Amino acid sequence: MDPLIVTQAINVVYAVSTLAVLSLGLAVIFGLLGVLNIAHGEFIMIGAYCAYTVESSGWPYLAAVPLTLAVCGILGVVVERVMIRPLYRRPFDTLVATWGLSLLLRKVAEAIFGPGFRSLAIPLPGTVRLLGTEYPIYRLLLIAVSLTVVTGLVVWFGRSRTGARIRAMVSNPELAQAQGISVRRLAAATFITGTCLGGLGGVMVAPLAPVQPFMGLDYVLRAFFVLIVGGLGSATGLLSGAVVVGGFDSVISAVSNTTNGYFAVLLLAIFFLWLRPRGIVARS
Amino acid sequence: MRAVSLAVVIAVILPLVLGQFWAYQLGLYALYAAAAVGVGLCWGQAGFLPLGQALFFGLAAYLSGFAFIAFQNQIFLALVALPFIALASGLLAYGIGAVVFGRTGESGAYFSMITLALSLLAFQIATSWNSVTGGFDGLKGIPGLPGLDDFSDVYYVSAAVLLVVLAFAGWLYMAPIGVLWRALAQNERRLQLFGFDTNQIKSVAFGVSGLMAGVGGAIYAPQQGIVTPQLVGFGLSADLVIWAAVGGRASLLGPVIGTLLVGSLSAQLRDSLPFWEVLMALFFITTVLVFPRGIAGLPEPLLLRFMKPRSSAAAIAAPDGIAKKLPAKLALHEITVRVGEVTILDRLSIEFDQGGIFCVIGPNGAGKTSMFNVVSGELAAAFGQIAIGSSDVLGLPSSGVSRLGVARKLQIPSVFPDLSIADNLAIALWGGRAGMLQLLNPRLRRWTSPMLKELQSRYPFLASGARTAAELSHGEQQILELAMALLTEPRVLLLDEPCAGLSPHETAAVMEIIRWAAQRLGGAIIIIEHDMSLVKELAEVVYVLHNGALLAKGNVAAIQANPDVRAVYVGSEK
Repeated sequence: MDPLIVTQAINVVYAVSTLAVLSLGLAVIFGLLGVLNIAHGEFIMIGAYCAYTVESSGWPYLAAVPLTLAVCGILGVVVERVMIRPLYRRPFDTLVATWGLSLLLRKVAEAIFGPGFRSLAIPLPGTVRLLGTEYPIYRLLLIAVSLTVVTGLVVWFGRSRTGARIRAMVSNPELAQAQGISVRRLAAATFITGTCLGGLGGVMVAPLAPVQPFMGLDYVLRAFFVLIVGGLGSATGLLSGAVVVGGFDSVISAVSNTTNGYFAVLLLAIFFLWLRPRGIVARS
Repeated sequence: MRAVSLAVVIAVILPLVLGQFWAYQLGLYALYAAAAVGVGLCWGQAGFLPLGQALFFGLAAYLSGFAFIAFQNQIFLALVALPFIALASGLLAYGIGAVVFGRTGESGAYFSMITLALSLLAFQIATSWNSVTGGFDGLKGIPGLPGLDDFSDVYYVSAAVLLVVLAFAGWLYMAPIGVLWRALAQNERRLQLFGFDTNQIKSVAFGVSGLMAGVGGAIYAPQQGIVTPQLVGFGLSADLVIWAAVGGRASLLGPVIGTLLVGSLSAQLRDSLPFWEVLMALFFITTVLVFPRGIAGLPEPLLLRFMKPRSSAAAIAAPDGIAKKLPAKLALHEITVRVGEVTILDRLSIEFDQGGIFCVIGPNGAGKTSMFNVVSGELAAAFGQIAIGSSDVLGLPSSGVSRLGVARKLQIPSVFPDLSIADNLAIALWGGRAGMLQLLNPRLRRWTSPMLKELQSRYPFLASGARTAAELSHGEQQILELAMALLTEPRVLLLDEPCAGLSPHETAAVMEIIRWAAQRLGGAIIIIEHDMSLVKELAEVVYVLHNGALLAKGNVAAIQANPDVRAVYVGSEK
């Protein structure tokens, strides 16, 4: 097979799997709590800056994982308590509030790190030979980690007691509360899981993306389009959305340019809004 | 009027007091303020949040830049082009609104995210399309407006433009369309049931906001001499939202106050205070969560007086409703509705072919409210036919059904809580009577009808116009909603448990209106009712639904004697 086609094919797989993992946090919070967290992209940005801090302090790259979990976890607790909890079931107000949060986090990052962008060294440089072509190891690793994280979370959600409790909370909060499930704590935990997943995604992509205060906007929009196209509330929805959006974007960007890729994704999202407003996999 | 002349006087004096530097600053920020007024219109009035409003400002700025460069030897041609450039922004916004709102209905997040995405896309195009836009460095060398000598002249042009935008917005806020925008933000479904195409009304709001941004952008290019991609990007889009919120999005002047105060202050302090922008973001969040009225909320009474029509003005008789001559006839034929695996209506055939009071009864889950939902176009039928008069209505949206003379009162009182009683009643009068263009005429707020006068003399609280509907008791709200449904002078009136939750006294009042309305309208009044004592008093014919189909039909005595009906009500399945 033509090595160029193989490279492009792996690129598409890479785009789809990272898009899935970067959308996961938004999907958890939007799909389960009904809160559209526009600041999701900023949690990705925070993860990326954590990675930058770790690298520039000379620590091993993996140290970025606990640091991000701590930062995004604490932020998640505070934000949930102050902003989200008073506004559950007021979707429009949470939209405005999380938009304000995204603005705040961007400005804080800008005040600390400056407006310019930073680049990180790739922690695992080098390539491996795969199907007749050389492919960067780090990208392959990201594909593997992304798929593991997404499947792991989906399996855990389907099998564990906590997953069952969350499903109970989503379908009927009052009844779940009456059954002795602390809906308040569970919702908070779900929100924090979402923010931490965003941060982890940021750690993963930081070496391959320019790290800058407003990098999150692009991610949150793409993640949102994944959810529009795929449909809310199911793993198959998330994955099919990531396949369609990521695939469409990377193919069109490869044959044309990134602006057209972006434009195509936007048109696709509007098209889905018209024809399948609940996405490919609508929740029953 | 007093507020307007005050604004003009302040605008004229300001540069004389503050000097040339501030005249220049305010001249720039007055243009941004025009766009912020548009954000206030969408967000504070109509209740949806555009996150990419700079797109329309920047688009007009680029177009205006092109025009001034192309016509630099015949500047008057560029001046002629300015209104069309602003209009182009407005039309683009209207088109985007029509596409996005056309399907998603009320969902706010989708609209906001798509506008944000469009603004990012425009930024990418403006940055990468070097040959046309000048790329990242921007479009340079745009000639200025002719005949302006110093910064105060520049300021006066901007201030005049802003005042025109404000006057336009003020007029719209006082006109019926403004009332409908505020109603939309509170209860979109109720508006649709009165026959208004809410997607259209929202698209118009967004189009007008795009036009306002376009006006600002069109003047920006010759004023600043350069147009950069930042003008279409998320940064300015975000600033417009912040300024509108901090100033007070719901009021006319709030966005202007926010822009001039916060915007021009930020321009000074951004560089000297490193955490200034962080503080602004915190301030924004606090305003949105705790103090949604913003700075303009402080002297609220003054602004309110400006927005209200004078109550002393004489009332104007409304024209007849368009449905007046239609026959009172509603027929469902083999209507089947399924949701998932469940069949809610099962080949339901039922006919109401004359005027009178009819009661629909049946156990919970029989499909009574679903029948109403399918008639008013809110629930899709898998197959079957519905005829109102001689028109086949299956598949019409609820606004279309309403215009055929069908009014509906919902089970839980559904009014516009933050609007005055007078505006609530006026909306009902406009539904089915006013065309889209008439909605721009503020005189329509003085409409009255003989029916309204009679209702007001029966229920004096309906005449206490300035109170908001939220201040009414539950029973009064039920009567208000019923009165609103009657004001459309429907041929078919659907009432879903009109006496639910009412005291015996209020129940008697509602029953009296229903009887009165049956005489007065001569149409069919179809009531879903559980309380058999009410059914006995009101119903000429009783229809019994069971498992989504018609079980029996007849007068009260016949229904009470019917063995099938008795079997259903004591719970045994035959």
